[in-house]
Amino acid sequence: MDTSNLASIPLYRGAEADLSLTTIGPWKVVVKRRVRKEYRNPTLDEQIRHARTISEASRLHEAKTAGARVPSIVGVDLENNAIAMTHLDGRVARECLDDMGINEARKLLRSIGEQIGLLHTGGIVHGDLTTSNVIVSPSGAPFIVDFGMSRRSIEPEDRGVDLHLLQRSIVASHSKNPSSMMNAMIRGYEQTAGKKVASSTWRKARDIARRGRYFAIR
Amino acid sequence: MCLGIESTAHTFGASLVDGQDRIVTNVNSTYRPPVGVGIHPRKASEHLANVADDIVRSALSRHDGSSIDPDVIAYAAGPGLGPCLRIGATVGRALSSFLKKPLVPVHHGVAHLDIAMSIAKARDPLAVLVSGGHTSILVHTGRRWRVYGETQDITLGNLLDMFAREAKLPSPGGLSVGREAMKGESLIKLPYTVKGNDVAYSGLLTAAASSLRRQGNLADLCFSLQETAFSMLSEAVERSLVQTRRSEVLLAGGVAASARLRQMIGLVAEDHGASFHPVPVEYSGDCGAQIACSGRLAFESGITVKTSDSFVTPRWRMDEVDVPWIPRT
Repeated sequence: MDTSNLASIPLYRGAEADLSLTTIGPWKVVVKRRVRKEYRNPTLDEQIRHARTISEASRLHEAKTAGARVPSIVGVDLENNAIAMTHLDGRVARECLDDMGINEARKLLRSIGEQIGLLHTGGIVHGDLTTSNVIVSPSGAPFIVDFGMSRRSIEPEDRGVDLHLLQRSIVASHSKNPSSMMNAMIRGYEQTAGKKVASSTWRKARDIARRGRYFAIR
Repeated sequence: MCLGIESTAHTFGASLVDGQDRIVTNVNSTYRPPVGVGIHPRKASEHLANVADDIVRSALSRHDGSSIDPDVIAYAAGPGLGPCLRIGATVGRALSSFLKKPLVPVHHGVAHLDIAMSIAKARDPLAVLVSGGHTSILVHTGRRWRVYGETQDITLGNLLDMFAREAKLPSPGGLSVGREAMKGESLIKLPYTVKGNDVAYSGLLTAAASSLRRQGNLADLCFSLQETAFSMLSEAVERSLVQTRRSEVLLAGGVAASARLRQMIGLVAEDHGASFHPVPVEYSGDCGAQIACSGRLAFESGITVKTSDSFVTPRWRMDEVDVPWIPRT
């Protein structure tokens, strides 16, 4: 498809892509366009944008097949490094969590954990799992979005990175009881990924957290 | 007047900073290993011990030869190479007991940010610290710097130094690789690893070094290494900037001397409507002035240490240090 002359309204400017809103047939559609980065060497820039557009579209499709709640693809525009996908109504989890009591937050994290378990079981790692990349529908169901850094992998290392990143974003943005929130997430994760995978992934996530520089105990 | 003593790795430095945050003196001597060899901690510490006396003496003298008595002694307590840290700490303790002046322990990484913020006038930035010891993206909340993203293995300074060593280019590696890179033109494909807001450079180093051994064109390889490594960091910075919504971007540490990196991080800041505050090149590398600058701020916040408790901490994370003087006024 060609997204370059779709009439659309700007929705959000992310770090690597611009999101805009449009309609195609009966669908409210979000067009995610990876824009050229001035700071990057043009050859490298094109390589990265092209590869990520392809991989994001592939992973979205696979995530759907694995039964996870993710947006549906409406079209792909490789000329312009753009993907059109169904628009999701709802709020970003990062914002929802701030308004929630601990019990409600734990419930949401548990169901986010179930979604991550589904992705991992389907052989997909997200690669950029933060509370900003989860959209919570009005009924409270979390959708995982932004598969730009996702990959096919069943390595505990890669799965661990997902949980590590989620944990760090929870610690950084939601100071109230992050460990209780993470425990709830692990419960949900166990449910869909199984006890064995859950324990190896979680162990790896803790390893990764200690990999940063200058930790006294390793 | 605060006297700052730096001796975390290859540089022994001493500097005086006055009550208005002005750098009065700043004298440094850096150990340079032979080409193709890294810094040996013992050899570096021997160099530091040999020059310490002269450096401190000249940092404490006026133009007319008379000497200045500092009111506070700050020393770099970590992180860094143990044998080197102990030289500076010993000098600091000695001066503090002899002059009967308070002793202040300083975190070397925090000090890189402090001097950059002082001179480049940043108040509460997203801080990018790039050096041989650190590659971190930080924001200050509460009383501490929080690590938003960092390297999962080697630092950007390590990467450039180790590659330069393999290529028999002189130290510091960042400068030599940068110089070669200007002659390079075509981009060789190298591993590009960004994980969330983190980067990992060891795969890039391995690939670049093995390409070098296959007699790749050195200029093209330096160009590609630099473009790839800096793009990875810039992407992580851009992501962090969007997430934290800060209005200032600070660039500090030894690798901040790189013109290409300054250009790239500057473009990221500009693209997101943030102002860009790079440390001046002359204060980017390790120096006494950073310790004096940070030591003065710490002392004014009431941080001192008894001589008997003045240890060095070779492993010491940025997010384990209380830094109550930020946002800066």
